[in-house]
Amino acid sequence: MTISLKLMNDFFISTWLPFLYLYGVGGILFFFGLILIVKTKALQIKDFKDFNWFLTLIIGFIYYLLIHFSFIILAF
Amino acid sequence: MDFSIGTNLDRIIILLYFLVVMGFGAYFGKYSKSTSDYFFGGRRFSWWLITISIVATGIGSHSFLKYSTKAYEYGFSSTMTYMNDWFFMPLFLFGWLPIIYYSKVATIPEYFQRRFNSNARFIATFMILLYMIGYIAIQLLTLATVLYKIYSIPLMTTVVIIAIITTLYTHFGGQTSVIFTDLFQGLILLFSGLLLFYLGINYLGNFSDLNGLSFFWQNLTISQKLPLANFNSPPDFNFVGIFWQDGIAGSIGFLFMNQGLIMRFMAAKNVNEGRKAAAFNILIILPISAIVVSNAGWVGRVIANTNPNILPSEMASNDVFVVITNLVSSPGVFGLIIAALCAALMSTADTLVNASSAVIVNDIYRPMTKNKNSDKIELNVARLSSILVKIIAVLLVPFFNNFDSIYEAHGWFHSIFTPPLVVGIFLGIFWKRFTSSAIIATFLVGGFLMILGQLYPDLIKPFSHGIELRPGKGYSYIGALYNIFVCSMVGIIVSFFTKPPDLNKIKGLTIFDVKDLRKIFKGSEVNDAVGDKILVKWKKSNKSNDSISFSKNDMQKMKAKKSDLVYLSDSRKWLGGLKSIHSSFDKSHDEDGIVYLSNSLIEKGLFSKDKILIAEKEM
Repeated sequence: MTISLKLMNDFFISTWLPFLYLYGVGGILFFFGLILIVKTKALQIKDFKDFNWFLTLIIGFIYYLLIHFSFIILAF
Repeated sequence: MDFSIGTNLDRIIILLYFLVVMGFGAYFGKYSKSTSDYFFGGRRFSWWLITISIVATGIGSHSFLKYSTKAYEYGFSSTMTYMNDWFFMPLFLFGWLPIIYYSKVATIPEYFQRRFNSNARFIATFMILLYMIGYIAIQLLTLATVLYKIYSIPLMTTVVIIAIITTLYTHFGGQTSVIFTDLFQGLILLFSGLLLFYLGINYLGNFSDLNGLSFFWQNLTISQKLPLANFNSPPDFNFVGIFWQDGIAGSIGFLFMNQGLIMRFMAAKNVNEGRKAAAFNILIILPISAIVVSNAGWVGRVIANTNPNILPSEMASNDVFVVITNLVSSPGVFGLIIAALCAALMSTADTLVNASSAVIVNDIYRPMTKNKNSDKIELNVARLSSILVKIIAVLLVPFFNNFDSIYEAHGWFHSIFTPPLVVGIFLGIFWKRFTSSAIIATFLVGGFLMILGQLYPDLIKPFSHGIELRPGKGYSYIGALYNIFVCSMVGIIVSFFTKPPDLNKIKGLTIFDVKDLRKIFKGSEVNDAVGDKILVKWKKSNKSNDSISFSKNDMQKMKAKKSDLVYLSDSRKWLGGLKSIHSSFDKSHDEDGIVYLSNSLIEKGLFSKDKILIAEKEM
């Protein structure tokens, strides 16, 4: 039981923990930045061009998240 | 590494490559007529040209060696540092980029002068110059360590030869030469890196009935296939340390502090083109670049896992790039791939040399001479500066050669210079309350606390995330988290105890004013009415002013009014904006399809006679 718990812990530390940390801490910084540029009107969401950029930013975040997610799954 | 590599054919190809790049750079040198052209290429280029030249700048010669080594040792997690730059894109694309573009700051130290004071500018100038020149020295050392094995010329002689070659075209050409040679070199670099991967996979196909790609994938262990490293071990390659050192400090440093990169974005024809270049680079080019710089290590790892006897017994991990390239490629192709390594060095070094001379002229020479000298004299100073920078870089090479490895030298370098500047820029842009006294304290007290952290690693322990302390070497990458923390704390605390800045004085220099920057840039209300682009032919006007005269109908099509800003370029899109100008609309005339230009605008735009131009209202 202890051994299997240790193995599970090792597995988590080498796979999903880095993933969760990357998109957790990185995600906080990303969405903080996104909210800041919208609140300060540096990005004006009602403007068509800016709205496209807003979507691009979110899609970019999901795109990288999916790349890392897929490679972790593919590794096994 | 004591085995000889390469054939005479390879040596000839590498030499030819150097000659072609010098010729390319010299040709585009004719387009640099002023300091604006020399440093910013006249703010005229299309996003795709900026993108490829950013690739060439971002991938240094050290990248191939460093990431191949990590790929050989740890597998796919070598790609981590190329795949963690998106988090700061909102703040970069809609914060920093419009601020630097519209506020017309030429250099980062100049931003420090305008946002804070001349003392902040002075310290920033010193730190940024040291950072860039040191970076050039590391690039020279990396390439020389490879080339001297191929040509059997002593290391320092190789360094000097490379320095002379790369100085020549930057010296004469400036930013336009840099951008166009980097376009060429970026393509060579990507092509050669992918070619190496193809050859490597083909080579692996010889070992089994499986195709090369299946054999490659099946002979990596699970941990070697994972895209992120183990969370906190081993001490010299763990996820959390690299996240803070590269994903946070490195990404902010690269996007916000790299003068070479900033100048590249300022060479874009407008902010939106700069945004496109940055986004395309990070979404598409960086993942490809990760493969380009790592694949030799992955192929080497599969060979080591399955047929270790093929690799030289005395091969060290950091020899893997050269050994695998030599193994999987034929004579000539090996030379081409090593030429790509040269491309990586030259394209990074040329950008940094150009950026360093911009800082020397803008932040040292101009303040000293109180802007009294002509543009021609400043252009000569810029050219001389590019030589001086290379000489200092060559002199620094022996210092970096004393480190155990180039990676250690590079890591030390980043950890010392990046955090105080990064914190200074970041708080400066995103916190109006951040004061001039606080930025000085961030540099000096923050720097002192960073040194304390190096001397007493126990100070870093609370930030270590369980990473093991290396006896006698301290903590590695996670030190960046401590450094960012202490610099930020010093900046924040001192800000609260000092007088807030005058908000009028910092107008246009923080994210809170970005919405008004276009108006400040134009000097009047922005005209955002959506008009058409129109095709015109040019005629010479007798006027001496630099505004452009279109017909009344053409102005209506563009929804333009007198004094609005206009961008006029050669209609051949493949030129990427090389032949173009920014100006403003003058009074209209009645000849549709004709635009009147002053002599100086024709010269500045490099317009050819009888070629069609395309005009668009900017704002």
